Amino acid sequence: MGVSNSMAAGQRVLPRYDSKDQYRYPAFMPSSADRTVKSFDPAEFVIPTAKQEDWRYAPLERIGEFFEPFRPSGETQVRLSFLDGSGAVSAGSDASVSFERASRSDPLPGSVGKPADRAAALEWDCVQQIYALDVHRDLDQPLLLNVRGTGEDLDALHVAVRFDPGVHATLVIDHRGLARLSEGFEISVGENAVANVISIQEWDAGAKHLGSQRIRVDRSGRLNHSVVTLSGGVVRLRMDPDFGGPDGYLNMLGVYFVDPGEYVEHRTMVVHNHPSCTSRVVYKGALNGKDARSAWVGNALILPQASQTDSYELNRNLVLMPGAVAESEPQLEIENGNIVGAGHASSVGRFDDGQLFYMRSRGIPESAARKLVVHGFFSELVEEIGIPAVSEHLMATIDRRLAMEED
Amino acid sequence: MSVLEITDLRAGVETNDGRKEILKGASLTIKSGEIHAIMGPNGSGKSTLAYTLAGHPKYEVDGGRALLDGQDLLAMTPDERARAGLFLAMQYPVEIPGVSMTNFLRTAVTQVSGQTPKLRDWTKELNIAMKRLRMDPKFARRSTNEGFSGGEKKRAEVLQLELLKPKFAILDETDSGLDVDALRIVSEGVNRAHKNTGCGILLITHYTRILKYIKPDFVHVFAGGHFVKTGGPELADELEETGYDRYLPEGSTESALA
Repeated sequence: MGVSNSMAAGQRVLPRYDSKDQYRYPAFMPSSADRTVKSFDPAEFVIPTAKQEDWRYAPLERIGEFFEPFRPSGETQVRLSFLDGSGAVSAGSDASVSFERASRSDPLPGSVGKPADRAAALEWDCVQQIYALDVHRDLDQPLLLNVRGTGEDLDALHVAVRFDPGVHATLVIDHRGLARLSEGFEISVGENAVANVISIQEWDAGAKHLGSQRIRVDRSGRLNHSVVTLSGGVVRLRMDPDFGGPDGYLNMLGVYFVDPGEYVEHRTMVVHNHPSCTSRVVYKGALNGKDARSAWVGNALILPQASQTDSYELNRNLVLMPGAVAESEPQLEIENGNIVGAGHASSVGRFDDGQLFYMRSRGIPESAARKLVVHGFFSELVEEIGIPAVSEHLMATIDRRLAMEED
Repeated sequence: MSVLEITDLRAGVETNDGRKEILKGASLTIKSGEIHAIMGPNGSGKSTLAYTLAGHPKYEVDGGRALLDGQDLLAMTPDERARAGLFLAMQYPVEIPGVSMTNFLRTAVTQVSGQTPKLRDWTKELNIAMKRLRMDPKFARRSTNEGFSGGEKKRAEVLQLELLKPKFAILDETDSGLDVDALRIVSEGVNRAHKNTGCGILLITHYTRILKYIKPDFVHVFAGGHFVKTGGPELADELEETGYDRYLPEGSTESALA
């Protein structure tokens, strides 16, 4: 800084945004970062209505309780173990992992970003169950964090996860049971660390889950973040990743399978705030019946300082039955012209009668035809999740649900 | 020896203007090893005959019978018909994104033959069959028919014919849109399937061009929703000379019916 500026002092005036001539200096147009409220204080957020961008797709009439202050039931059960069942990870700390109850004033919780909506701010405001999970050393086995809902009373849960610099580790978060859960996750990936985080939502019918995941990837860190949403009445997850330094790599994968009457929404709001970082977002969903609804909203905001950014976002939807609605909204805000790439793609396709007849005319029964199409649609992405136990469970669950459909 | 016996078949479609009858009593018997060419003007109902036999839900059967070795085809679902030994090569093969050719065909062969081919044997068999049709073996990993050119789609249909080994194959204008080389390659594939499996073939075509490569035992003229004339190969030559006009209703031309 400084040299060229001081040389130019007195001669050059920085351009300013002019709302009457907004394309004159595109880099100075207001971005979502200039408009968006981010705060720990719920009072800074108005109660959501369908007129607000962030809430235009959600069935607000079904989730009103998440927007008023509440006393958490405290009934959500949280347990950490290894994925292969080789013994529970004890509370407290051992050499490689520490996992303990924490409070708002501890260093880890509240350290990654700020809530981006009213539900997330209220969660932080009232939550009693706060955990800090710190991975200190490489792990051979994936960690499994079970989050089990036990009833219909509204509860709040906050988990701050930290992967220390240089560690290689995998965390699977498994959401099950019946729940009304307002949940906050903070995931920070230290310098040169390589982390896999997989969040599975496989709730009982009628469950409601509003989640906010705030994510930071430090210098040269890598995060593979996967979201697998298989069931629940209303599931809305908002991911807010950014970077703590240059050369970070963020890979975000999402798979969702939506049955009739269910609503599933994912938001991937990536902020490129450091140079030379890469983000790749690939979300795919299948809608299996009338009144199944889904929404995916993705944004890549490339701030002026984020030169050499490489970003890509893709969402594909497969409508298997008439009467399902899939919303898909890719956004890009590019405030720096010196980037490697900023791509996006989005589609909603239909498995139609013509395809079905073609496959049947080759001897393939309807159930097998549907299975073939759904497997083909998801296979590459599911493989990329990279944890065989998760991939196998995911495809088996989808097969079972496709088979149920015929009865 | 198998027999496909079509008797007085009547079928139609629902349109915005109500019910439209297309097949008006079509009768034909075809046996294993026979090649029948069905020729006729546009709009005569040739394709409707093909799709009705294959069980497309758009066409509703109003009467008549279709028996394959005595089994009632019309009472079966489309996949049951295929498993009973009927194959339809479509004029416009459908694209199936995300489902690779190899996966699609292996599933189809499993269903039709009742046995899952071993993966090794399968890959080899598919590879050889594709090479015979001058198809790039890389196509096996591509989504079924997706992004294929018109000619590639027709080759893929004949590939399926060769691999599924049906008792009877209906080829619906398989020759349309093919250049001379592709027409020869596709015809060779059909002849190979005929020779290797002894299947019966119903070759629906608008032009006599393909009959230079695939020699029919019988040639039928199809017009106004039924068979109006049957003859030997010489009937095709006659049609080449005189066209279909004499088989059309009084005062109409082919373009008016199309």
